[in-house]
Amino acid sequence: MLKLWRNPEFVRHLRAELRPARVITVAFVVFFLCALIGLACWAAQQEVLDNALHSAQQFDGKWTTYAERLQRDNARLTWLVLAKWLLGLQGGLLTFWSLFSCAQSVTGERDRKTWDFQRTTSLTPAELLLGKLLGEPVLGYFAAICVLPVALVAGFLGGLTVRSLAAAYLSILATALFLGLGGLWISTLLETRSRGVGLIGALVFYGFVLGTFGFATSWFPGIAAFSPLTGLHSIFEMRFENGRDVTAALFGHEIPWLLMTLLLCGSFGAWFVLMLVRNLKRDYEDIRLLSRWQAVGCAAFLNFVFYALLRPAHAVGDAGSDINSRVLATFMVCINGLILFAIGLATLTPHERLKIWWRQRAAGAAGLFSEDGLPWPWLALSALVAYGLMVWGLVAWRLSLDFHVRSLGMAAVQLLIVLVFITRDVLFIQWCTLTRLRQPIVKGVLFLSLYYGAAGVFTAIAATSSENAARIVMSLLTPIGVFDPSMEWPHVPASIYGGLAVQIGLIAVVIVMIANRLARPALTPITSGD
Amino acid sequence: MIELIGLRKEYDDLVAVHDLTLTIPQGEIFGLIGPNGAGKTTTIRMACGLLAPTIGKALVNNIDVAHEPEKAQRSIGYLSDFFAVYEDLKVWEYLDYFAHAYKVAESEIPGRVTEVIAQVSLEVKRDSMIRGLSRGMKQRLGIARAIIHQPKVLLLDEPASGLDPKARLELRNLLRSLRDQGSTILISSHILTELEGFCTSIGIMEKGQMVRSGRIDEVTAAANLARDIRLTWLGDNTDSLRAALSGNPQISALQLNGLSGTFQFTGSDDDLAALLAKLVSSGVRVKSFSEIKQTVEDLYMKLSKHEVM
Repeated sequence: MLKLWRNPEFVRHLRAELRPARVITVAFVVFFLCALIGLACWAAQQEVLDNALHSAQQFDGKWTTYAERLQRDNARLTWLVLAKWLLGLQGGLLTFWSLFSCAQSVTGERDRKTWDFQRTTSLTPAELLLGKLLGEPVLGYFAAICVLPVALVAGFLGGLTVRSLAAAYLSILATALFLGLGGLWISTLLETRSRGVGLIGALVFYGFVLGTFGFATSWFPGIAAFSPLTGLHSIFEMRFENGRDVTAALFGHEIPWLLMTLLLCGSFGAWFVLMLVRNLKRDYEDIRLLSRWQAVGCAAFLNFVFYALLRPAHAVGDAGSDINSRVLATFMVCINGLILFAIGLATLTPHERLKIWWRQRAAGAAGLFSEDGLPWPWLALSALVAYGLMVWGLVAWRLSLDFHVRSLGMAAVQLLIVLVFITRDVLFIQWCTLTRLRQPIVKGVLFLSLYYGAAGVFTAIAATSSENAARIVMSLLTPIGVFDPSMEWPHVPASIYGGLAVQIGLIAVVIVMIANRLARPALTPITSGD
Repeated sequence: MIELIGLRKEYDDLVAVHDLTLTIPQGEIFGLIGPNGAGKTTTIRMACGLLAPTIGKALVNNIDVAHEPEKAQRSIGYLSDFFAVYEDLKVWEYLDYFAHAYKVAESEIPGRVTEVIAQVSLEVKRDSMIRGLSRGMKQRLGIARAIIHQPKVLLLDEPASGLDPKARLELRNLLRSLRDQGSTILISSHILTELEGFCTSIGIMEKGQMVRSGRIDEVTAAANLARDIRLTWLGDNTDSLRAALSGNPQISALQLNGLSGTFQFTGSDDDLAALLAKLVSSGVRVKSFSEIKQTVEDLYMKLSKHEVM
């Protein structure tokens, strides 16, 4: 692998983005902004001091002590406020710039038609990835570096420790790199004409990552470590809930937020890297995010993360919510619905490859679990792995969760129902990819949304007759019926099994539709000249 | 050397390239001819690793492009019909970028950049920003990019489209000199005059299939095509000539006007020599007797049915 400073893709961005005139302009603007922010901080702090002095004159007592302390600490507090602003600015700048510049990277190359030329060079996907990840946002990194000395001086004069500053910067950097990888991933998946969709996707992704801060008070507080806000919360003296601080937990043991951020950004970033390295130099039509086994591994990893980050004692003690093995199992089944759907989308087989598999299968040369076959056997395997991890997770947390074996029985039925519905949906989207629809995956998802919307309406209509009728319709058309909290293992209503049978029938229909598509003969050109 | 073995590409229900097998030996300039949509671009994109074939494989210097793309691409120079460049770089920076990307030895890069800039006559623009170049100059820069790493194989997809006549001439000369240096060149075009005069072999593609391929004379012979013969004579021998030629089953399209004429002949060189001897022995005072050289365009028109997908 080429060293970063000799990586041509990185050097290209460095040359294009950091021309001397631009470097001087950016540095000047940054220092000017720092000066402005500094002055604003000084003015704000001065106003606080003036108010305190004024109150001390009027009320005396505690106000006098406060005003004296404020006066004594005025310089330090002013520097501290400046340091906070500058750290926040750097955090926002780096994470936002990194995500959005990377999210336009590959689509931009496709747009300019320079992508093919990059793909035909001897650069490996890993080299291209590294060059783009650090090269695309290089101007943002430069601006942040310009702010760095001012922020460090302000931080030290403001009383921040080297450790807290280093932790904040490491956290910002880890999140910026993670978001950059996410941006590149989004960019790889989109064609030129979808550039706007990519930017919206990037915005949603940024909002989600920022919003994970809210998970700090959930059953999985560690997820909050994704958010750049979490890395800065100790410096900003932010409190998660009820004025109380929360620490991240891994397998129930408290660990520093920085470590959690590095673990999460590192492990999730590694999955992004894997998907990018597999696909970066591939033709758009040939992109397959993960191999079959990798997809199963990804499902296992995501499940494992949830059990590792679980902190039931915190949730029970502070949020007052009653978490037991049944609630956790139901929650994990729902999460696995999302995971299986994502895995299904990531393992859709391109039309061309599926056709070859179909021919080979007809000739007896390819099996159901083939890399180019239909995704459903791998969805079943992923669900099996997820269930295995659920058994492990519930048993591992049995002392904190009021464990009952019945939870596992109910979860098995729930997961089976969810698996069947997800399999049907994924196969339907696979069928869409075999048609001449433009953007078949998006349209497939929209059709499914329409279906679930219609199912909701039918359930509401049935509810006008009786609650039981509504429950039957819901169980036949959606997987929601199986999550009825009044249901107890092994007494599962017949409508649930009825729904299962209906959906298996629909899966068979979709497979026949796929087979018909694949069996169509290719348009063979007529030989000319012979 | 380029070897395409049973190469096939399917898009949905359409076969864009149909089981194509082709070998282009080192030092050849192979012209891929065919109408738009014949499968030329798809073939070239598969040969340089941009597209994965549905079935079959493409070997460049005995390296499977699909399995070891980066290794194969070190010896491939690719040029397409669009000359997209990085507008925010200088000319030398652009070439330096691709020299590094093709992993040319660090010590050779500055010299190679200077050499290639001279080859495409952009010396005065070396330090100019690309965004300030004219379209023709950008196209020449694209050609420079394709040859910066001295590729042993050049895959050129409609390289002359949009080039002015002078630049086309320069491109031809450049390709000839690269061939003389041992490069193997696969060039596609639907403008036949572009390929005239410097291709050593041709392949005619239609509807994803190779209708005919090989050295130009081999293609002519293999297709058993009629050769156009021109002759001139002295004196009034038109009637005796007509009598000698019209009965010959190897001759068609006979046209005799005054002291010259043309006809099409389907036979070997020996048959042709025998025919000339017969004419002379029958008293015709033959002044000249020669084969009209067929152009690539003639060949294409004779071999192709001009079917487009």
